[in-house]
Amino acid sequence: MKASSSIYQDNPIWRFFSSVRLAVFLLITLAITSIAGTLIPQGESLQFYLETYGPNFFRIIKVLHLNDTYHSWWYLILLGLFSANLIVCTLRRLPFTLRLFRRDNLSVDYERLLRMPFKKDWEIKGELDNDSIQSIISAFKDIAGKFHERIDVDGGRLFLAERGKWSYWGIYGLHSSIMIIFFGALVGLFMGFKGNVMLPEGETIDHIVNRQTGEQIPLGFSVRCDRFNISFYDNGAPKEYRSDLTVLNGNNEVARKSIVVNDPLVYRGITFYQASYRAIPEVAVQVAKSDSPRRSLIISAFQKALWPEEQLTFGLMQYLPSVHGSPAAQIWIGDQEGRAGALWLLKGNEKQFKKGEKLYRISLTNANQRYLTGLQVKKDPGVWIVWLGCAVLIVGFSVVFWVPHRRIWLWIGRRKGKTIVILSGQINKNKLQFEKDIRKIEDALDSSLGAR
Amino acid sequence: MTFSSSYLLSLTTFIYLGAAALYLIHWIFRVQKVGLLATLVTAGGFVIQTTGIILRWIESYQLGYGHAPLSNLYESLVFFSWVTVLVYLIMEWQVKRRVIGAFATPFASLAMAYASFNSNIEDKIQPLIPALKSNWLIAHVVTCFLGYASFAVACGLGIMYLFKNRFSGESKGIIGVIPDCKVLDELMHQTIIFGFLWLTLGIITGAVWANDAWGTYWSWDPKETWSLITWFVYATALHARFVRGWAGRRIAYISIVGFISVMFTYFGVNFLLAGLHSYGSQ
Repeated sequence: MKASSSIYQDNPIWRFFSSVRLAVFLLITLAITSIAGTLIPQGESLQFYLETYGPNFFRIIKVLHLNDTYHSWWYLILLGLFSANLIVCTLRRLPFTLRLFRRDNLSVDYERLLRMPFKKDWEIKGELDNDSIQSIISAFKDIAGKFHERIDVDGGRLFLAERGKWSYWGIYGLHSSIMIIFFGALVGLFMGFKGNVMLPEGETIDHIVNRQTGEQIPLGFSVRCDRFNISFYDNGAPKEYRSDLTVLNGNNEVARKSIVVNDPLVYRGITFYQASYRAIPEVAVQVAKSDSPRRSLIISAFQKALWPEEQLTFGLMQYLPSVHGSPAAQIWIGDQEGRAGALWLLKGNEKQFKKGEKLYRISLTNANQRYLTGLQVKKDPGVWIVWLGCAVLIVGFSVVFWVPHRRIWLWIGRRKGKTIVILSGQINKNKLQFEKDIRKIEDALDSSLGAR
Repeated sequence: MTFSSSYLLSLTTFIYLGAAALYLIHWIFRVQKVGLLATLVTAGGFVIQTTGIILRWIESYQLGYGHAPLSNLYESLVFFSWVTVLVYLIMEWQVKRRVIGAFATPFASLAMAYASFNSNIEDKIQPLIPALKSNWLIAHVVTCFLGYASFAVACGLGIMYLFKNRFSGESKGIIGVIPDCKVLDELMHQTIIFGFLWLTLGIITGAVWANDAWGTYWSWDPKETWSLITWFVYATALHARFVRGWAGRRIAYISIVGFISVMFTYFGVNFLLAGLHSYGSQ
């Protein structure tokens, strides 16, 4: 272990990647460069950047991929360097930490005990009887806690109360948590997908469209939107968007859920989020040829309605909810020969139109809104890895900064014809509290030695 | 209602402005009794503000909305000032140096003054929009603002450090009463550690919430990115202590730059950049 680490440390590349200076440099660089993507709108069309920023700045944007800063080559290089730095730093520290962890803290000598940062000694003439020694030890144990003992250390007995030695591993938890989070993100990137779908009420889908690639992704089951509902507060602000969804496997209903923002539906690892909605007008008309019976048709915006018997096609061009108190709609009508025309209908007023030689009657009977629910669909098997990384990050951070390695020694022995008692201690963080603890032991020893 | 929440919260504004003035007087004229008065006024203001916040919470239920008072800019400013005072009072109690108050309480009183006197900031209780209806709202806002408030105090300590360091020769006068550079450095470090933990928790709770609401735990939204920038700045501060020659003055500078970044995350993103967090600007 030792030999290999010294070879590594002589390698200049290894040294470069293991320096804290590089870490500080990368953190500062990441902080500064990350600003770019918050000032320049991300993910717009190239045309947008050309028009907004002019040809010169546009060239910079294109070369540096500032339209997608956080996935650009240079940002990924920075993150790669950051990861390399993190890993190499960690590996380089490992032998050092192992030595600290394995170190036998009972193998100290008299001289070193006197050089500790916290130290107090007592000189006693003559010898201490067994009872006094016991009372000193129990006073020590009461405050310092469980201890180990070694006899015959420079002619005396040495006691060590040690706590939090494992805390040296906290930094590994803290640093590896970042790598765990990166790993989770990669898993999500390669094994998951994100997509959107606009689903009209009453309709069913069995695939979605990938947001990045535009590819169709089959779900392996289907989802139906039974109802979409929007409610408002008294002041007109939206209160809730709710979609009633049903999951179907073939024709079997296998799950049902009303989803709202912040409460999605999860089925087979795929999550459906309430993201947006659209209301499209839908009108009902009655049509009839000369004096034959009437027939009802429903015409939705953006969709054609067909009257198969007469081979006529209807479309909704415009819709006005209230003209003199009644709804009105402009209807487009086309036939097989490509002849098309449009006419305005007011609810309650019948109109006539001609196609070729035939005469038809049409009237608007009803009008309402039809909702489409906008769903965000996602599969991300890496998300639990990310949460694990976050948990390790918090635990590791707390250990690194708040769990100290504390050592308190007590030596009782004879030197130059005198009995000497030494209390000394060392801690690597939270020195203020430690000082108080040491004082307490001091006072306790003072009184038990004084009472003798 | 005579003791409505808005009455108590406007009262708090004046009390904190008074407390900040008293701390300044205590520091500059070195009158011990004024220092004690400053502490009492701050603590009194804190009690009134706490009552105001609780009342506002109750009032929102009476209006039929029923949500914690953490939902818009006004409420977040009130909460920011509340946490700042809380963090400061704990520090004063632990360290027993009132001079720090002259550098910490102004942040709290400025936040309250901004919330109360800026006519663009809506101070009425509004209903929650669907995006904010989540149990994560409280966890996310509380953790973030514990971070922000700690960084405000750390910034105050950084300014004190630079003051002290600049006139390091003087052991008397207004510089003399400022704690030693070593003490300030340690306090600043501890405060940054504390704030960093809360900022990290704030980012994580935000990610969990975003994953619930939008289906993605990280979308490089400007607010998210700026919180990450802030995180990088303070991560720099924590690592810089291990680089020789970086402790002290440079960390004081980083602490100030970090707080500017916090302020930009808090306000700048809302007002200057568009994004998913736009409800924070109303």
